[in-house]
Amino acid sequence: MSDTHASTPVAARVRRLEERLIEAGLVSEPELDEILARYLAGASPLNGARIVARAWTDDDFRSRLLSDANAAITDVGLSMRSGLQEQRLKVVANTPGEHNVIVCTLCSCYPIGLLGPSPSWYKSEAYRSRVVREPRAVLTEFGLTLPDDVEIVVHDSSSEIRYLVLPLRPAGTDGLGEDDLVGLVTREGLIGTAAV
Amino acid sequence: MGRVNDVGGQTGFGEIAPEDDELAFHADWEARVYALNAALLRHRVYNLDQFRDAIERMPPDRYLAASYYERWLTAIETLTGDGHE
Amino acid sequence: MSDARFRPGDRVRVHNVDPDHHTRAPRYVRGHHGVVVDSAGEWPLADDRARELPDPRVEPVYTVRFAARDLWGGGGHSVTVDLWQSYLEPEAEA
Repeated sequence: MSDTHASTPVAARVRRLEERLIEAGLVSEPELDEILARYLAGASPLNGARIVARAWTDDDFRSRLLSDANAAITDVGLSMRSGLQEQRLKVVANTPGEHNVIVCTLCSCYPIGLLGPSPSWYKSEAYRSRVVREPRAVLTEFGLTLPDDVEIVVHDSSSEIRYLVLPLRPAGTDGLGEDDLVGLVTREGLIGTAAV
Repeated sequence: MGRVNDVGGQTGFGEIAPEDDELAFHADWEARVYALNAALLRHRVYNLDQFRDAIERMPPDRYLAASYYERWLTAIETLTGDGHE
Repeated sequence: MSDARFRPGDRVRVHNVDPDHHTRAPRYVRGHHGVVVDSAGEWPLADDRARELPDPRVEPVYTVRFAARDLWGGGGHSVTVDLWQSYLEPEAEA
């Protein structure tokens, strides 16, 4: 956790709310601590990266991942079951002719367990409003300039399906094993605002 | 009625500004809000759709001025009967 | 549970409604036509759950692809949106 300006008005507001809810018996202090610990330990873009590295090195896994991601990710010890309701995961594969990018225009949904806590830019009105309308310009601002003949597909997560981009495997990586490939994959690559 | 959160395709929101090495929470209170919401959902005090609805019903000027977790805080207050505005 | 009305390949149009309650059809697709590219399972309707209706409708959700050209008059990209069945109606072939 970062700064602890416990005296700010909003921090005081949160404390009052928390005290009221604990007193009403709706939540407990140990429970809140446990929730936070589990969240921070469990949610990470390394999870998404492991899925990608496996898909790059195992064609059978890749094919199962694209047809039933919820089942396939159990191969690497992952699950979409961490929340209250199991969400459906859909993995969308980049190809030389098509690039995918993810958004939730209505709020900020994305697969937190596989990508880690969402960055503020992903949650911002600026990203949510612009990426569906001018994705090419948005990607260029992120440093990803796509050739004109690459089509862009933007996926708006408006229901209970959560999306993960399967980036193209970078050139010159044939000699790398799965563990090394994991290190190449970034959160932005899994969202679609970077090539990998 | 159109809701303020429904921003797909709207213009005028300015630059997208990624932060380097951003932490999950900018302050302790944000983490507390996160945990409170998760606990209340788990105990079915309200459901996720009611939670989103409560955020969306914020007056537009308050919604846009509020940070991400301030919106969550407002929604939790609304749904647990706190009269704060 | 509602029966599946649509399947991949079908042309559909998003109802042009503006409800007072919480809904998950973004404004930018309402009234527009697209193509169903996937069936995405059955889910309780967000509109009903948000209003705490005792028996929320469980409906198929479809991934519908829209051409940016149709949504905004320009742009070579496409946008997919996951939409509950009751947000959609069939669209006649062009």
